[in-house]
Amino acid sequence: MAESTGHNSKLMAVVELKNVTKRFGAFTAVDDVTFSLEKGDILSLLGPSGCGKTTTLRMIAGFEDPSHGDVLISGESMLGKRPYERNVGLLFQDYALFPHMSVQQNIAYGLRRRKFDRGALDDRVGEMLELVKLEGFADRRPGQLSGGQQQRVALARALATSPEVVLLDEPLSALDAKLRQELRIELKQILSAVDATTIIVTHDQEEAMSLGDTLVVMNEGKIVQEGSPTDIYKNPTSRFVAEFIGRSNWFSGKLGKDVGDGLVEFSIGKDISFLILRPDQDAGTYDVCIRPERIRTEDSQDLQQSSEFFNQLQGVVRDVAHLGADVHTLVELPDGERLTVSQQFTGQSLRQYGERIGLAFRPSDCIVISSGT
Amino acid sequence: MNVFNRQVDNIGLWFVLLVIAVTLIFLIAPIIVSILMSFDARSYLGRFPPTEFSFHWYERFFSDTYYLNGLKTSLIIAVIAAAVSTFAGVSAAIVIDRYDFPGKQAIETVFLSPLVIPAVVVGFALLLFFALIGVFQGYPRLLAGHIIITFPYTVRTTLAGLTGIRRNLTEAAMTLGANEWQAFWDVTFPLARTGMIAGAVFAFAFSMDDVAVSLFLTSPETYTLPVAMVSMMRTNFDLTIAAASVILMLFTIVLIVVLDWIIGLERVIGGGVYRS
Repeated sequence: MAESTGHNSKLMAVVELKNVTKRFGAFTAVDDVTFSLEKGDILSLLGPSGCGKTTTLRMIAGFEDPSHGDVLISGESMLGKRPYERNVGLLFQDYALFPHMSVQQNIAYGLRRRKFDRGALDDRVGEMLELVKLEGFADRRPGQLSGGQQQRVALARALATSPEVVLLDEPLSALDAKLRQELRIELKQILSAVDATTIIVTHDQEEAMSLGDTLVVMNEGKIVQEGSPTDIYKNPTSRFVAEFIGRSNWFSGKLGKDVGDGLVEFSIGKDISFLILRPDQDAGTYDVCIRPERIRTEDSQDLQQSSEFFNQLQGVVRDVAHLGADVHTLVELPDGERLTVSQQFTGQSLRQYGERIGLAFRPSDCIVISSGT
Repeated sequence: MNVFNRQVDNIGLWFVLLVIAVTLIFLIAPIIVSILMSFDARSYLGRFPPTEFSFHWYERFFSDTYYLNGLKTSLIIAVIAAAVSTFAGVSAAIVIDRYDFPGKQAIETVFLSPLVIPAVVVGFALLLFFALIGVFQGYPRLLAGHIIITFPYTVRTTLAGLTGIRRNLTEAAMTLGANEWQAFWDVTFPLARTGMIAGAVFAFAFSMDDVAVSLFLTSPETYTLPVAMVSMMRTNFDLTIAAASVILMLFTIVLIVVLDWIIGLERVIGGGVYRS
């Protein structure tokens, strides 16, 4: 019996947005957004600033009401409910810790306001401090903590009341690069430890991809693509998504002759063409995206011996940047077009400026998008 | 070239220090003179410095019902005016800070206008107004005048305190289960308190100090201490006025010392802005 109820609750969406639209005057901030999460899901809402992701978050938290559509939490409509009438935990971008309260008081605040049993309150705060590894910091003021510690206090405060949904607003953006890495892993562990249903709002693709099981990409108020991080990276359906997630080299051109095996020629200039997978429909002109890390560089003279399977282009090295783990090489094609190749640095000698090199890549690594999307 | 620049810098520095020194002297010297003179043992207005010291001007002050009546009125008016104007100023500042509405800018300007309008004009306008509506008693007229001139200070300092508080602190409290009212008392109020207290201190000090407005609004029985001092200066100039000045100063100084002891002076004077 217990098992079957467990199964049922797994099926029911904890958070559900149904055709949510939000207008501010003539401006539509969020346009017909629909998605849902089940218990324990982590969803990243990703998009550039002004895409409507923050407004979406504010509607779930209860700071804004949708102009149209519905927000449901555990199956119940939240329309007209004030933030304190819902059980939503929110981690603010700048943490919004109460500066005049100690860490203990900050974490206990929600418990007090939500009328937690007095006796259980201290235990619960202790539990949360342990969860975020800040035992012994209970009496400090937020101003006496580092950025990373403040974030963990904010997280403990948001999780203390066992909210049905946890909303994270750009959770790592206020931290420096090294700390980000550490806290990202920790954040993920903490969220899964409490089995929190989580929505992360961010403009940072790395943050979105590393934390979220599902990625929802938004632009101009609309959802433009939804899927797993890997799926979206590999198969973006629009130029916007491909450019927003990861680095990309772009070529515009027309389809040429069909060479069989599902491959077709793609010509980008007078004498430059390579093979791509035949797109489903013929849209005339296409944009093709090749990820920098999917391109191999070869010494120019070796190019002929390369496998037939690879597309091959010739170019001249115009810039080499060694970024630590990666090396970025900028290559200019004969028609003047430039593309970036990214390689792992494994001790190889770097290419020289002006060196003629060959570029090789698979047709299957060419992402084909019809122009104008 | 370098040496020349350095000399210009040095001359500039000395000039600035000189200006500061002169300012300090002009600020402090007259006060020191009147403090010393108030303890003068001579029974007439003699040359500075006094040769002997005594408290006889103070005895005179405390036995003169005219002064005492003024002091009493001043204290009553200052306490009530500071309280009312703090309450009104805090309310106004909260509305200005929290909500956007048409004409907000204009209202803010009107609220701060007593700072710009000469106090004499305020006093005269109030005198006319009260005469027209038939109010001739001293207390209501003085109170109204003092609330008007102190109100801008309480609005300003509270606003300064409130603008330092990020909106999302209130929002955080609300997601944690507090309604707007609770969020205000738990978060906004404790953080803006310094600004509010600073406003109250300024209001009290300005009310105690005011002559220009009060001069128009006093009645024969109800007058403030500074007004009493002005009229004594005209009719009966002696060093009791110096003693009265020192007593007037004392009230403000005591208030500031007490506040410093409670919440820290720099924070009050520094606009009461909360910093995280």
